[in-house]
Amino acid sequence: MADARYFDIRHVTGTVTHVDMDNARVESAGTAFLDRAILRVLGPKGWGILAIDHYTRPRGKKFDELIGRAAGLASLTGQDVHLADVPLGSIAVPPMKENPAEVDLQEKQRLLAEIERNARIEGIKSTRANYIERFEDVTFEDSSGNEYSFTICRSGFSILAVAARGGDMQMGYVRKHVLQDFNLRHHQEDGGEAAARAIALLDARTPRGGTMNAVLDPELAGVFAHEAVGHASEGDLVWEGSSVLGGKIGERIGSPVITIVDDPSLPEFGFEPIDAEGSRVGRTEIITHGVMNAYLHSRETLAAVGHGHAGNARAMPGEPPQVRMSNTYIEDGDSSLEELIQECGSGIYLKGTRGGQVDPGRGVFQFNAEYGYLIDEGELGEMVRDVSLSGEILRTLHSISLCAGDRTMHQGYCGKGGQSVPVSDGAPHVLLLNSVVGGSGSH
Amino acid sequence: MDLIERIIKEGERRVAELEVCLSSGYAVTGRLKRREIHYASGSEHQGLSLRVIHEGRIGTSATSNPERWEECLDAAISSARLATPQNWKGLPGPGKFDHAPLNFDPAVIPDPGTARGLLEGLIEGAEAYPVEITSATAEVSQSSAVLANSSGIRYSERETMVSVGIEAIIGQSTGYEFDASCRMDIDPRKVGEKAAYLAYASQDGKDIKSDRYDVVLSPVALSQILGSVFVPALSGKNVHAGRSRLAGLLSQEVMDPSLSLIDDPLNPKGISRCRWDGEGTPARRIGFVEEGILSEFAYDLKTAYRYGKESTGSAVRGGHGGSPSIGVHVLSLDGPRCNVSEDEVVHVHDVVGAHTANPLSGDFSVELSNAFFMREGNVEFPVRKAMLSGNVFEMLMETAGLSRDERVIGSMVLPEIRLKNLALIGN
Repeated sequence: MADARYFDIRHVTGTVTHVDMDNARVESAGTAFLDRAILRVLGPKGWGILAIDHYTRPRGKKFDELIGRAAGLASLTGQDVHLADVPLGSIAVPPMKENPAEVDLQEKQRLLAEIERNARIEGIKSTRANYIERFEDVTFEDSSGNEYSFTICRSGFSILAVAARGGDMQMGYVRKHVLQDFNLRHHQEDGGEAAARAIALLDARTPRGGTMNAVLDPELAGVFAHEAVGHASEGDLVWEGSSVLGGKIGERIGSPVITIVDDPSLPEFGFEPIDAEGSRVGRTEIITHGVMNAYLHSRETLAAVGHGHAGNARAMPGEPPQVRMSNTYIEDGDSSLEELIQECGSGIYLKGTRGGQVDPGRGVFQFNAEYGYLIDEGELGEMVRDVSLSGEILRTLHSISLCAGDRTMHQGYCGKGGQSVPVSDGAPHVLLLNSVVGGSGSH
Repeated sequence: MDLIERIIKEGERRVAELEVCLSSGYAVTGRLKRREIHYASGSEHQGLSLRVIHEGRIGTSATSNPERWEECLDAAISSARLATPQNWKGLPGPGKFDHAPLNFDPAVIPDPGTARGLLEGLIEGAEAYPVEITSATAEVSQSSAVLANSSGIRYSERETMVSVGIEAIIGQSTGYEFDASCRMDIDPRKVGEKAAYLAYASQDGKDIKSDRYDVVLSPVALSQILGSVFVPALSGKNVHAGRSRLAGLLSQEVMDPSLSLIDDPLNPKGISRCRWDGEGTPARRIGFVEEGILSEFAYDLKTAYRYGKESTGSAVRGGHGGSPSIGVHVLSLDGPRCNVSEDEVVHVHDVVGAHTANPLSGDFSVELSNAFFMREGNVEFPVRKAMLSGNVFEMLMETAGLSRDERVIGSMVLPEIRLKNLALIGN
């Protein structure tokens, strides 16, 4: 073990239960089992990593051999990796409200079927409803003798309704996930909402692309924060030189109305009681009143880049930790939605999202709104659909002129480096001036 | 094999039919940060995926710990109890196949030295242009899988895979390139050089005015747009469930009459070739679109039995815990080849946000990556920033040709395609 400066092992076991309802049939339902570990050894330079399925901690010499194998891999590396000394230790996992494990699968199926049934109204040609529930038992140990373990549950559902008329098809969907709770009860109306939107979208038009003012709803503005700021503030990208936010600490990069935060300690869908390398989690103010304030970090990116604190190392079971967002949001402002729409003048009010993507090195992002309404002289007008926006990180943040005070958080999964982790994004309604809106419509 | 026989024996005692897929593999990965190796990893993977069928009810479960197969079998049987029963005519029995592996090269050995050699090749290639490498990855893997069922199938497969990817940057201009093969035949220098070229050549982009243009999509951009919208619409399941715009259009023109879209599981260019599909049905050529005419949809056993069709051998192992679902093996787009860069054209290497396309209607708006305004095959200027908007189904109705060169991207083999009169939103 002479060449190992540090090691840690993160082992995750658990279950994944799902129910898939397709047009009123139980397409599939059941439970799968998870058992994966990741062992990291820091050699004289960089990391040697072993991913092991169904891990049992070996004893004595066999454990040393395992460390030795990872150290052998580390000997190939040339990058000088240092780990910052950071506060360690766990905060409490929020208490379980209703435990999904205590609801039998048939009951889950019955509740999901009710949501789906509510979507099967006249004009709807297809419905699909999914429930997913993950229990993860996480144990961690490192070479400094730190150990922790916790159990966490995330669950949720989605309902999709498809309306068709002539050759046109449109969909509406609702997706809701929770931490430490069971959320299939009292959500039948979400089926109806998905269906009503799908039908309404048949009469909506595709807008003509161009530059215009846009009011973003809290869900979409949350995706904006995630794509336009969150990824580019990840310390590993800054370290590699692939973020336009590198070297911007202390600089004004956006309008004074905008403050953007990431906080894994918030009891939202992206919550972690401790990060994937044992660091204490907490709030990072990435942008404070338009000024770049801090990056998101793991221990090694904090040591390499500085500005911020560790606690954002996250990983899928059996995968190496990466710097990731958790719960990312734009802070409330003091305007109201009515003021935003009034101030918008002529433009577009955009709602819902199918996600987005960013090239943080180039500083260009794209994100999509499910639907929206044209705004004409401060009044909401015709419904539009399939609206995407794109922008440049260093320009667009100056274009946010107003934030309302009605922030809500929305749950999702974020992909990076082949790993998908649970996150939440949120914001109040925001007004974005002169945004580039995509669309091939003729009006 | 002993484990498989035990699982099948125990399963047959409790349910009418049982299918077992047992997989294992080893992969070595090296990752660069800038020009130095940041980590080297070894990954041991194991997986057991079970499917049981009893009185038309299908249940599945999976585990990454095959020693706990009994728990997994119990879960699959519980899962079947909840499923809505359907018409089911049995798992396939053994067929006569050549069992020589199709995607295997004994020269592909997952050792750290191989990964390091590939990374060195990427760095060397990127030195062709004055750019910075931000990150790069090389992975070498071997895996094996046994598909077995209670009808007597015992099919073993071995696969190897080599893959590399690299990101380069100069100023705020980025380039990304990748390659993958089941043989040791990729050239990391070329990959490194291409990434560096893309970053270098995209510098100092100019704005383009919002208008309609002829656009050439590279295989990378085309694969994203086809994969997000057109391929899901070919799934028999989506067709019958009312989630495909192509439903009801069999024998009708759905693409330019010069184009054909074929899934040929034995296409020699493919890196995911197969003789049988994910549930043991013989895989065969599927002419989804033949000279513009929609001719077939893709079916697995479950969907085929339910809707009175035949499986097209389209099951791939991509569902919950590796259970079978409908997919493609080696999808290619074919048609007359030409010089796609004649006259004026905007050449698009990649797009940002293809997954946000509307999978039902086909409407999309994506940001361009590494786009160039070209005249008579020469780059006039890189496009700084623009969105491409359109409808996937409509834009494929009229094309202006395919390039001669093709490229393998995952389960697709694609040329460049020239599309007419698409909306670009510039600044």
